[in-house]
Amino acid sequence: MMLRLAFATLVRRRARTALTVAGVTVAAAMLLDMVMLGSGMRESFRGFIEQQGFQLRITPRGTMPFDSETTVGGAAALAERIAADPDVVRVAPLLGTRIFTRRAADDSVTAGFLLGLRPEVQGDYVLAEGREIAADDEMVVNGAWLAATGHALGDTVEVAQGWEPQMRRLRGARTVRIVGRGRFVMLAGGERAAALRIGTVQAMGGDALRDRASVMLVATREGAAIEAVRRRLEASDPRISALSTAAALKFVDERLSYFRQLAFILASVSLAVGFLLVTTLVTVSVNERLGEIAVMRAIGVARWRIVAQVMAEGVALSLVGAVLGVGLGLVTARWLNGILAAFPGLPAAFDFFLFEPSAAFRSLGLLVLCGIAAGAWPAWRAATLPIAQTLREEAVA
Amino acid sequence: MSGACPERVRPAYRSCIVALPPRVPLLVASLVLAGPLAAQAAVAPERTIAIDERLAATAGLSVGDRVVLGPVAGAPGDTVRIVAITRRGADPSEVARSEFKVRLHLEHLQSLAGSGDRVGRFAVQSSPASSPAAVSAAINAAAFGFRAYPAAEVAVETSATFRVVNRFHRAIGIITIVASAIFLLCITLLKVDERRRDMGALRLLGISRASVVRAVVLESSLVALVGSVMGAGIGWVASWLVNWHYQGVYATPLRFAIVTPGIVAFAVALSLALGVVSGWFAAQRLVRRAPLELVGR
Amino acid sequence: MTDPHASSSRAADVRPLVLSARDVRREYPVAGVPVQAVRGLSLDVREGEWVAIVGPSGCGKSTLLNLLGAIDRPSAGRIEIRGEDVARLGDAAATRFRLTGVGFVFQRFYLMPTLTAAENVELPMSEAKVPRAAREARARELLAYVGLGQRADHRPFQLSGGEQQRVAIARALANRPALLLADEPTGELDARTGTEMIALLDRLNRDGTTIVTVTHDEELASAARRVVHMRDGAIVDDVVKRPLEDLAR
Repeated sequence: MMLRLAFATLVRRRARTALTVAGVTVAAAMLLDMVMLGSGMRESFRGFIEQQGFQLRITPRGTMPFDSETTVGGAAALAERIAADPDVVRVAPLLGTRIFTRRAADDSVTAGFLLGLRPEVQGDYVLAEGREIAADDEMVVNGAWLAATGHALGDTVEVAQGWEPQMRRLRGARTVRIVGRGRFVMLAGGERAAALRIGTVQAMGGDALRDRASVMLVATREGAAIEAVRRRLEASDPRISALSTAAALKFVDERLSYFRQLAFILASVSLAVGFLLVTTLVTVSVNERLGEIAVMRAIGVARWRIVAQVMAEGVALSLVGAVLGVGLGLVTARWLNGILAAFPGLPAAFDFFLFEPSAAFRSLGLLVLCGIAAGAWPAWRAATLPIAQTLREEAVA
Repeated sequence: MSGACPERVRPAYRSCIVALPPRVPLLVASLVLAGPLAAQAAVAPERTIAIDERLAATAGLSVGDRVVLGPVAGAPGDTVRIVAITRRGADPSEVARSEFKVRLHLEHLQSLAGSGDRVGRFAVQSSPASSPAAVSAAINAAAFGFRAYPAAEVAVETSATFRVVNRFHRAIGIITIVASAIFLLCITLLKVDERRRDMGALRLLGISRASVVRAVVLESSLVALVGSVMGAGIGWVASWLVNWHYQGVYATPLRFAIVTPGIVAFAVALSLALGVVSGWFAAQRLVRRAPLELVGR
Repeated sequence: MTDPHASSSRAADVRPLVLSARDVRREYPVAGVPVQAVRGLSLDVREGEWVAIVGPSGCGKSTLLNLLGAIDRPSAGRIEIRGEDVARLGDAAATRFRLTGVGFVFQRFYLMPTLTAAENVELPMSEAKVPRAAREARARELLAYVGLGQRADHRPFQLSGGEQQRVAIARALANRPALLLADEPTGELDARTGTEMIALLDRLNRDGTTIVTVTHDEELASAARRVVHMRDGAIVDDVVKRPLEDLAR
């Protein structure tokens, strides 16, 4: 019956209840978004890295993967040395450079990103159409490259590693066939990309790229102590740095620390707003019903029941607001994610706002707890009213 | 550009690779650091360089120190003297980049890198009388194999990140304003409703509906005005804190948050408008009801 | 002044005491100065009596009723209801007492506006953990007794003042209390409704309910079996108008 009373009290003042629920909904949505933002970037990036199936990345000393055009020489020997480590099961060297293609239709030149790799161990693209590279003159491209160049799967095309704009001359050209279309997981949306065997790219680059690599992806055996392997590999060659997944995540965290801090601040503000709204409504509601509450105490309703009834109002407001806030939060997260997805150089599939049910439940549970706390003070006030005095005052009023 | 130089170098050797941005693809420099007293025999006459304060702090270098500069780690290079430590500019595009910058004479870098007479770009200063757009158009008309861009265009391009951040902030601002509006309306409604007996008594005494509405709107407007002024003050303090914090984190003089008179005026005007609207709505709900009903009869 | 302890007739002496108050005092500080609302008052009420407490405004009659109903605590003295000293009860025990030991009727009814008449009557039974079916049945029975059997599903705003007060009486009787305490039960009612209320209280009393009312209403006072006059916080007169055995008629 107390729950019925609590519910009836909320329904009695529909407009104010609706407005309070609306306010809590927006606060809950904002809270959910900020929780998603706080963990989304990191988990999204972790998803990328782990999706590739490699635990370590070997880069030129002091650089991050593809952060610059620096390469490390003696790539073949280096890859062999790394592969010889007892804890290493797979090494995938990568060479990143430019690709240029001349459009026959208008003689314009389209530039893009060219990735040299070993197709049998690669983890940088997911085939959507066609087949994997099987020969030196076979190429996989992405949809953006096909659209820009006007080519299609199966076409034979001349591509080059260099372009001399003064002489309008392609340098390091090669005739290749497009055998597959893939989604390059680490590239920004709209960025044109192609992949060839690393040997082909090295040959196209001439002396500048001979036996060089930008990054080597290393897969360790199951159960290997990754940090020990990392230290070992890094110590084995002064020209390289070895980066673990944890270090890469830490780097991303630092780069995007602003968003985490913003998320924390806005989440705190949302909780505070939700708390204030609920406590204000419940306090006003109690103030209007002092006589009723005193009578309930007078006819023998226990204190804790009064507290429970009043707090039930706060919990109900928070719960309904939290549930509605989930829906609104997911919608606004999509909108905000769309805005942030325009970051230059951001991988297309990267999400700033990632929905994790456990995080969502935790944050909304926090909001409901706030609702409980918000109702606690007015509830206690209501339950400890001096009955006779209150009845007298209410009679006079 | 990216670079990561490990711990302080004295007295041991360390090497770190510093690569210049893709805009200067042909020029790759490597800095090999040695203890200040271990000046190696230089192949060429002593040259001078300037390093940025981050590198100086990380590697423990100061003006007057000698270092060996080379294109590749471990390879012989030039012994140079540090003559200046530079501060980062207020460039948004550099804020989150944790790279080191070394400045040296162009011919020196060209000879070190073995690139010959090549550069990545020219910076051109036009005369005050001419417009950058006109100058770049004239250059482009005569150019063969390169392009000229007005600096403003380049600034826009390199500010793409911050344009995205601005849009994000604006979106958060819209959400905050919507939430605040609902909050304000809710609170005003509650507080006005709480005093309905007083309002009913006034109406019973003969005070008109319009007067009651005016009184409520005036009250809620005053609350909104005072609140917005206080909020502007809090915002100003918060922006100072934000700038102090992030300038320290990113070692930049860039200002991250600026509270301008326009922003304050907008905030106050919006708060006032919301106060008026919420007060009006709350008052209307009251004066619609019969006075006797309001006093509980 | 009549000795309050000699107020009952010889025949009524065999009826057990429901209420026994001895030397009850209640003081309130008003601007730092203690004001005695009830001064050394003693009162006995036997089963089946209907006692009306009358007196000028501010004489302490409502305060006395609050003390008897364990809504307030005396500064000194003893109040026993069915042998239980309610003056010294802790909060939880006093609450329990108010739930099952007495039934209180207020001048302003104080029904829960969001509950129906039947639900208002059920409220104390729900608190006393009476099973749902039993409390629903009793609620309807009580409402029928007070003449509102057809209005069980109406909310207070749909009932007149007199009907609301009837519901309040039904609510007060829900847990079969030893004593019904009514504070100005006709205070908010018009004359005709007030008369109907008095008739209801009379019927209740004839059916065995022990009632103590506080009132300014002369008609109500004259309907009661015994009238206790108060002035300045003390009993100044105690008149039995109809002996207890008259209730059998």
